[in-house]
Amino acid sequence: MALYKFDKSNELFQRATAVIPSGISGNKNPAFAVPGSFPYYAVRGEGCRYWDPDGNEYIDFLAGYGPIVLGYNDPVVDAAADVQRKLGTAFNHPTPAAVELAEKLVGMIPLIDWCAFGKNGSDVTAYAVQTAREHTQRRKILKAHGAYHGSQSWCRHGLGGIIESDFEHVLDFIWNDATSVEDIFKKYPGDVAGVIITPYHHPAFADQVMPKPGFLQDLRRICDKYEAALILDDVRAGFRLDIKGSHEYFDFKPDMTCYCKAMANGYAISAACGTNKYKPAASKVFFTGTYYTSAVEQAASLACLDVLKKPETLSHMMKMGTMLQKGLKKAAEDRGLQVTISGPPTLPFMTFTNETNFRRSQVFGGGAARRGVLLHPHHNWFIMHSHTEADIQKTLDVADDCFALVKKEFGG
Amino acid sequence: MFTPLLTRLGLHTPPSVRDRVRAGMHLHAVLGAIPHLVRLDEEAAATARQMGKVALEFRVFDGPRAVLAFDGGKATLSREGCGNVGLFFPSCDALNRMFDGEKVTPIPFRAFPLHLKALQLLPKLTDRLTVFLKPPAGMLDDPAFLARHVELSLLVGMMATRDLVDYDPKVVRIAHDLPSGTVMFEVIGGPKAHVKIDHGVIEAGAGGLADPSTTVTIKNMGLALGLIQGTVDTFAANGSGDIRASGSLALVDEYFNLFDRVGLYLK
Repeated sequence: MALYKFDKSNELFQRATAVIPSGISGNKNPAFAVPGSFPYYAVRGEGCRYWDPDGNEYIDFLAGYGPIVLGYNDPVVDAAADVQRKLGTAFNHPTPAAVELAEKLVGMIPLIDWCAFGKNGSDVTAYAVQTAREHTQRRKILKAHGAYHGSQSWCRHGLGGIIESDFEHVLDFIWNDATSVEDIFKKYPGDVAGVIITPYHHPAFADQVMPKPGFLQDLRRICDKYEAALILDDVRAGFRLDIKGSHEYFDFKPDMTCYCKAMANGYAISAACGTNKYKPAASKVFFTGTYYTSAVEQAASLACLDVLKKPETLSHMMKMGTMLQKGLKKAAEDRGLQVTISGPPTLPFMTFTNETNFRRSQVFGGGAARRGVLLHPHHNWFIMHSHTEADIQKTLDVADDCFALVKKEFGG
Repeated sequence: MFTPLLTRLGLHTPPSVRDRVRAGMHLHAVLGAIPHLVRLDEEAAATARQMGKVALEFRVFDGPRAVLAFDGGKATLSREGCGNVGLFFPSCDALNRMFDGEKVTPIPFRAFPLHLKALQLLPKLTDRLTVFLKPPAGMLDDPAFLARHVELSLLVGMMATRDLVDYDPKVVRIAHDLPSGTVMFEVIGGPKAHVKIDHGVIEAGAGGLADPSTTVTIKNMGLALGLIQGTVDTFAANGSGDIRASGSLALVDEYFNLFDRVGLYLK
């Protein structure tokens, strides 16, 4: 097959660098993928596929970094959004959709008594952190080393525009090490407001790590002991493991939970949810944004959650993810390569076992992109409901070619 | 050991963070470039040979120290130890002003007549270094000169990152986040340099590495100059292929965060 070229992507990027800092900001900058062997822009999508400006078609396993849970242009979600769009969207006030969506989430997610809506994951993780601080009247927030909780300054990504005090009270513990958590509580008695965690550890540039048995429950116990909040950042994994939230999947009890990516199949909405205990504090935090109450996204979310609630939706995604994980493992072994498959089936990831610098992953991911399959070399993947067995099989065929490339270049 | 007491008694004002970081960079990165200058430049090597075997100790009150040693026309720099000849600076500010070109006379100590010649020759080396780090107009048109300018400037920038980790409060806070590993910079048609990061401790050196964690390939000398001068948007350059990074991108991403900050202290 003819390998993809990216001339128009490159041309657009050159234009962009003149008028947009870095050309493309943040994690979507090509520097974080495989520059020269990855598309930089997209023009349209359908189901689990999208097309770039050069006309290249991809089976997508990045899903817009997560929000496309069903598939691009899902007809059910888009129809619901269209109905609201005709009525209007950014009003002076919320629409009934806001109340309906809050009621739906509260009814759907055990433990949760309230929710508030933002646009991005960062909005709601920051809100939950503020709420924890308000409730406890303490300063420190604990997070797992390497965990991503958004792009705001308290999360510290890079050093640009950040001052020390932005992250002075954010302290790292070691994932799966409850002792390292309690040690910080002991070191700062009466000053830890809360612990924020993802349901399992999914840092970029690393294998995904599931929680050890009892770890999440230990966090609950520690937070109870020291009267601190336990915040679940379910932005990435939420509704992809269990429609009731990932705390149901892992059987632990957070005080607040944050959702975003899978809420509305690509429409910009996020939600911070919590127990009644934290509701007074949540009310005191000034939480707003021009589009936080926009109705189209809320209507889309109502429709998307209805699709996700059908048991067959998630079971299909689990099945596709499992097929991909097993198929990759076997294809690698058949080529004499060792790979580590990590994460749950709906959020799989693969690294090459005998390297830590991702060089093989970059050859593999770049090769796959040039053959029409988007498997990011450094960031976990996402299964969409629209992936079919035929898509997975085609992906495995491409993967086999790319394993051959890796074998040829690295020998093993 | 007496510094905290003097501070408490109001007899000493500790250096500002900026002065402390700059002083460290001046001694460890700028002066630290002299061994590389001697390696790259015959005129400097000849001066080094004239200096014989001597170790020059630079000591700054409530500040950094370094020992610049010469032996057989080669030079090394270390952050610890003692020299045969010492130069004492009463403050970081005094050292910084000297590196900025002001007339500052350090106080010699342990200065045996035998080694005074070496002290007298030192300005020849520092002047030569200045030529390469701040080249006069037109010099960069000479490809051989340009290559040495790029290599020395790159090494100064890379060596300076260690002082950020040690003293820049913003970087000190995140030092534990720095992944360990090695980064190799290669300029196509030009020099190579590398940096080793081991649990927050940074060591920079000349030349390539056999199996670096990350390789940063810079398209040409002009781009390398821009990178050193902080005028290149590394993300944009990466996307457009002017800079190619392969291997551990998390490592080089964090390292560029440091490298970019050197320009805040050294011009």
